[in-house]
Amino acid sequence: MVKLPEFDTGRVPQQVPRLVAVFALVVVALVVARTALIPDTFGERGHYRAAAVDSIVAHEKKYAGQQECALCHNAIMQARLAGNHSGLGCESCHGPAASHTANPVEFKPRIPQEREFCLRCHQYNPSRPTGFPQIDPISHNAPRACFTCHDPHAPVPPVAPGSCAACHGQISYQKGVSHHAALECTTCHEAPEEHKLSPRLVRPSKPTDRSFCGACHAEGADSPREIPRISLRTHNPQYVCWQCHYPHYPEAS
Amino acid sequence: MQGFIYPNEFELHWGILIVLYPYLTGLVAGAFILASLERVFNVKEVQPTYRLALLTALAFLLVAPIPLLAHLGHPLRSYEIFLTPNRQSAMAMFGFVYAWYLMVVLLLEIWFDYRKDLVLWARQATGVRRWMYYALTLGATDLSKRSLRFDDRMGRWITIIGIPSAFLLHGYVGFIFGSVKANPWWSSVLMPVVFLFSAIVSGIALVLIIYVFSSLLRWKPIDMQCADKLAAFLFYAMVVDFSLEMLDFIHRLYESEESIEILSRMIESRLFVSLIVLQVVLGTLLPLVTLGLTAPALSKKSVLVLPDELKRLAYLGSAILVQIGIFSIRYNVVIGGQLFSKSLRGLTVYKAELLGIEGVLMASALLILPLIILWMLVKILPPWPDAEASLPTEEGGDTGVQRPAPAR
Repeated sequence: MVKLPEFDTGRVPQQVPRLVAVFALVVVALVVARTALIPDTFGERGHYRAAAVDSIVAHEKKYAGQQECALCHNAIMQARLAGNHSGLGCESCHGPAASHTANPVEFKPRIPQEREFCLRCHQYNPSRPTGFPQIDPISHNAPRACFTCHDPHAPVPPVAPGSCAACHGQISYQKGVSHHAALECTTCHEAPEEHKLSPRLVRPSKPTDRSFCGACHAEGADSPREIPRISLRTHNPQYVCWQCHYPHYPEAS
Repeated sequence: MQGFIYPNEFELHWGILIVLYPYLTGLVAGAFILASLERVFNVKEVQPTYRLALLTALAFLLVAPIPLLAHLGHPLRSYEIFLTPNRQSAMAMFGFVYAWYLMVVLLLEIWFDYRKDLVLWARQATGVRRWMYYALTLGATDLSKRSLRFDDRMGRWITIIGIPSAFLLHGYVGFIFGSVKANPWWSSVLMPVVFLFSAIVSGIALVLIIYVFSSLLRWKPIDMQCADKLAAFLFYAMVVDFSLEMLDFIHRLYESEESIEILSRMIESRLFVSLIVLQVVLGTLLPLVTLGLTAPALSKKSVLVLPDELKRLAYLGSAILVQIGIFSIRYNVVIGGQLFSKSLRGLTVYKAELLGIEGVLMASALLILPLIILWMLVKILPPWPDAEASLPTEEGGDTGVQRPAPAR
């Protein structure tokens, strides 16, 4: 059982003043430390040293702010504000430009041209918001710099049909070295305009009919003589051609 | 990695050092609560470990914040939480809980308990040791009956204050994890309670291990009554601790929140060894069965009547397994809480580094450091009953505060 101790209320034992002295020392040390170590302006505006704001203000200014850029580059500025990069400041891509605004001739801001720079935001990453433009850098026009197709100041989606390769780069390369290299993608696929905005919801068409390939490959078709021919009537009539022949492959067999 | 996880979840921010921190504070709280058994609850059998438990608690308490400082970096800024504390932050307030526990509970209790011996050692010793002991008495050298009685009463009062303080110290650690609303592995009101009882388990087991090893090193016989009582209390604490953990587990299963699937997958894959094998089977069930059979916990006699040597081995083995189990609990809580994605769709992995400030070597050093500090404390303040200095007869003989010598 727990027995609570009792106290004498008589003379104060020797231990008490000694311990009180030690604890008083600790308290005094804490008070002295608080006085000496807490900065004067601590707590004026919140739980921080208010003078820290002044010391930050005193730092060398490196960014100019986009209003400064607009003074000389207003046309580019207006184009950017109208496009998908309206939320980005100029210096997000071009780097700190205070020295450029101070001396436009001597100091030039950087112009990032490497693919890796754009990929910081546009490389495929499942955690990015749905609908955010993302690409697979290996299959998406691998060697080309992004700005050759996309204007970074107004990066609207590219225009079809030249833009099929933008998303279907691998197919485009394969087709480029196949017998079908000279054909446009739209010769065989009908791609509605909405496909560019919602590529998975609105899909391009595929030939569903043997006679489509037969227009060039059937016996008696009106096409150059070197094109391989088959009899549409006897050559596996139960299949559509691309079920056996992949038309993008070099040999297409 | 498995499934989908957010990009900022690949790397775990809390590593092995944060595992150490609740483990060490748990040992402190547990060792202190064991000491209070003798002092407040008059369990006379564990008296030989009373001072040892206090010194163990002190040694581990001194090391407990070091993993945090090493993890955070900039340890020289740590004093700022005392100077300009943010009263809205539980973590900031913990600095004061720690200081209170160190200064008001542990140091004071040790001082009151040792004061008589410090005075006598100062009288007997020569040279530097004499001055050191004298300085430790703070000049309070009065050994009158009244003064010694005051020491004893103050010691009991401090222990009474110390028990809720120890609960606060380790309950806080559970509170910090339990209050993370966004993490279903941590967020539970049972967390502080589970932490507390696992702390008691680990503290008793640690003192048992240190007691057995120190007796071996000193070539002194182990007081079997004391060892039996420690083993029995270890068994009781483990029963409560295991029941609470099972309650938490069943509660989670029954609640079946949306996180249950990913948590089950985590237990089956990532935490299988550390949770099922180490924590539950080796760290809890095996020692529970061993202690239940060998220790006089369920009745005055143990179920299996074994020779003392074998019993000691069983106790020691169980206590070591308990330490492994409790360390696994801390690991499973801290690391487990970061292994699954907050999207509840994927699991990541934890790879501990060997070198580096957050590495396994550092963690091992921090586990050994309290033992070195304890060794130094034991050299300065021997906790053994046979090292207690007896009062010279002219000082008053029976002071009325001598506790009975343990039966051997």
